[in-house]
Amino acid sequence: MIEQVIKAAGARGEGADALWHRVERTSVSFESGRLKACGVSEEAGLNLRILKDGRVGIAGTTADRPGDLLERAVASAALGESVPLVFPSTTRLPNTTTFSAAAAEASLDRLTAFGTELVDRLSREGCQVNVGIERETIETRFLNTAGAQAAYPATAVSVGVDLARFAGDDVLMVYDVYSGSDLPGPEDLDALVASIDRRYDPALRVVDPPDGSLPVVFTPSGWGAVLLPLEQALSGKAVLQGVSPLADKVGQRLFDERFSIVDDPLAPGRPASRPVDDEGVASKTLPLIADGVVRHFVYDLETAARAKAISTGHGVRGTFSKPRIGYSNLVIGPTQTGKGEEGRGKGQASLGGGLLGGIENGLVVDDLIGVGQGNVMSGAFSHPVALAYRIQNSEVTGRVKDAAVAGNVYELLKRIAGFGDDGRWMGNRWAPSLLLEGVSVARR
Amino acid sequence: MKDRLAAALKSSRADYTEIRVEHTWSTAVTFRGARLESATANEDLGGFVRALVRGCGWGIAAFTSLDRLPAMVARAGELSRAVRLDEPIARAPVAPAVTDALLDLDGDVRGISLAEKKRLLEGYNGEMLAVPGVVDTTAGYHDEVTEYWYANSEGTLLYELRPEVTLSGTAIARRNGTIEKGLESVGLRRGWNAVHDHAAGFREAARRAAALLEAPTVKGGTYPVILDNEMAGVFIHEAFGHLSEADFVYENQQARDMMTLGRRFGRPVLNVGDHGAAPGLRGTLPFDDEGTPTQDTPLIKEGVLVGRLHSRETAAKLGERPTGNARAISYRHPPIVRMTNTYIANGQESVADLIGDIKLGVYACSAFGGQTLLENFSFTAAYGHMVRDGKIAELVKDVVLAGNLFQTLDRIERIANDFQWNQMGGGCGKGGQFPLPVTEGAPHVRIEAALVGGDVPA
Repeated sequence: MIEQVIKAAGARGEGADALWHRVERTSVSFESGRLKACGVSEEAGLNLRILKDGRVGIAGTTADRPGDLLERAVASAALGESVPLVFPSTTRLPNTTTFSAAAAEASLDRLTAFGTELVDRLSREGCQVNVGIERETIETRFLNTAGAQAAYPATAVSVGVDLARFAGDDVLMVYDVYSGSDLPGPEDLDALVASIDRRYDPALRVVDPPDGSLPVVFTPSGWGAVLLPLEQALSGKAVLQGVSPLADKVGQRLFDERFSIVDDPLAPGRPASRPVDDEGVASKTLPLIADGVVRHFVYDLETAARAKAISTGHGVRGTFSKPRIGYSNLVIGPTQTGKGEEGRGKGQASLGGGLLGGIENGLVVDDLIGVGQGNVMSGAFSHPVALAYRIQNSEVTGRVKDAAVAGNVYELLKRIAGFGDDGRWMGNRWAPSLLLEGVSVARR
Repeated sequence: MKDRLAAALKSSRADYTEIRVEHTWSTAVTFRGARLESATANEDLGGFVRALVRGCGWGIAAFTSLDRLPAMVARAGELSRAVRLDEPIARAPVAPAVTDALLDLDGDVRGISLAEKKRLLEGYNGEMLAVPGVVDTTAGYHDEVTEYWYANSEGTLLYELRPEVTLSGTAIARRNGTIEKGLESVGLRRGWNAVHDHAAGFREAARRAAALLEAPTVKGGTYPVILDNEMAGVFIHEAFGHLSEADFVYENQQARDMMTLGRRFGRPVLNVGDHGAAPGLRGTLPFDDEGTPTQDTPLIKEGVLVGRLHSRETAAKLGERPTGNARAISYRHPPIVRMTNTYIANGQESVADLIGDIKLGVYACSAFGGQTLLENFSFTAAYGHMVRDGKIAELVKDVVLAGNLFQTLDRIERIANDFQWNQMGGGCGKGGQFPLPVTEGAPHVRIEAALVGGDVPA
């Protein structure tokens, strides 16, 4: 269908591109330790962009036939503003692993077995265990009128586990997830179990929260609030709109000289990896912050055209909306080389990644509440803890409730007191634990 | 379509089968700054099958190609059979309904050109851009009409038309290094007739963003807090509503103990409910996605827990009645227990009475958002004012309320008599399903003491 649509669109306007996806998903869920439901879904969708009279129009459909798709795209273009959009021509695709035959072919029984094993290994007195397993096989096809085309298969597997324990009005929840394009191996399941154990066990004891300006260790899952302002500020769109605090800071050292962020669409075996973005631009690894210095912003085709920049291959699109800027995998760490494979199987590290030594009084933050609310772009954050532990005399002494952490990311990241040895993937982000000093901690 | 559904149900070998088909036409217009970002019209068509074989678990299939309907009915049955259960899944009885439940489209958005929708939004966006200090905006218009079919093997067959419109605006004000934002959001289960006359709201949001540039950050600490209607609504949704969803407790004895009916949750002034049948609101529909009629469900009566929100499965498990709260965001997902329009009922006092005897407090207004993690919540006001000597005083920013919900519910000490429904867009997220159209309603409420973050003292 995509060929006909592009051919017809090319005849109507100056140019066009289209992305077609087909996703087959199989999911298995265990509730309270027992297998509860199995599901499949099949979804296909086509997103068309046309350039007509210098204006861009978009339309999408999930229906089997294109129907009035082209007419809707043309109507959309009639209202659009002019964009000097240039579609990329032939694309030479880099190599990256996005597909696993073992994952694609795994039977329902095979997927279910992961859940049975995890329920068995994680069950404990007075605690509810839920496991969700999902396997996707994805076909992607891209075509434009400038001659670029791409087609690649992908698989994505996730195995999520959560434990919930209720004692009176105290609720403890510990969560983790494996994700990859391949099925989890024994070492991945071991890592998942170890990750739950090392956070669940010390959480059983509740201790008083500290307060004041304190050293705080953010675990790989606790980083969200620290990273989110940077993710927003490094978008070419925020720069173009004049709202990014980093807009005129390229080449300047704003952060600790060991702090780097790399966008890596070629990390092997990651579900967000891709040889090409959704606008036909070949993927490449891009340093965003290197050794504390702001290096690059990310662009899609349209933002690049408006900003007189070049697309960095960060156009992502769904069936129904126009392409927008999106990161692939963000690799964060003390060096620029912290790549995917290093994270695999390293689940046995201790809570806090070895950063607790020498901390007399502090906090380990594993999860915060309300990340993304408020005025994120400014770098200020203030969040109650969802899961956090007190550090006393270099050791975790118990779980802390009723505490909040606050600070400004741009101030705090000027000096990083340490990176943990527990770097790992959390979804599409690779990061170790991070020790920041002078974080405001308040109790209530 | 009805014949296709009947034939597909007939072919099922499962003991229970239900099918949904949804055909949605939507348009969306977005501005960023003075520039049109996009104006699109989309078509989304798909189906969902859920099957239950006796002694087995749920088998689920979702698909975009309707030609696959018979195959997916068979597949859902096979998947159900693959899940062996010791304790069978029961469904509380719901009387079969055969009806065409067509909501008033209130000006069918499908008959309005994309150009007109663009013009409308351009006007609202222009209101924000005209405010001095505003450097950037985003403005969005979205509408849809869904043709909806639901059929199950117990004889229910529904055909519905479901309209929806939302308007949203964000104004960013900036001076030197300081950036502030103001939000406007409107969401209704109505049509084109409901999207006019919102210019004042957009203008007000932009003025507030500019005013916040001058405002100090609220000094963190514990204060008596007045919540305006919008904040009180978001609070009850976030801090209590999610706990009243029965799928949270039905499989967990300890959670059930925590949420035992008859437990006191607040003072006698507090009355809370969820009303899925209130006309025209974002969370309103005649039936839920299991074919159960929606209703007004009391949750807290005079401070005491009296009810919870159910699907057929959770109701059967707890020996209670389905409440019409099994909802799915689209054919891509199974129905799960969700809120609709959640409210705190009116009290007796005037707003002035609530504020009058506060020496030093915080007035938290208009919500940016909220999140609950079980017994902990956090929610962010768009802006606030200090209350000094019984009067509303200076504007303050970064007002974040955080707390333990049991403590905080119990500290709601006074409730005003100015109830109103929020008519915001956005939506609720749970179990990977976001955004589900919901809304909230409340009068002003006063919390005896709550932790206000913001500038947390070091």
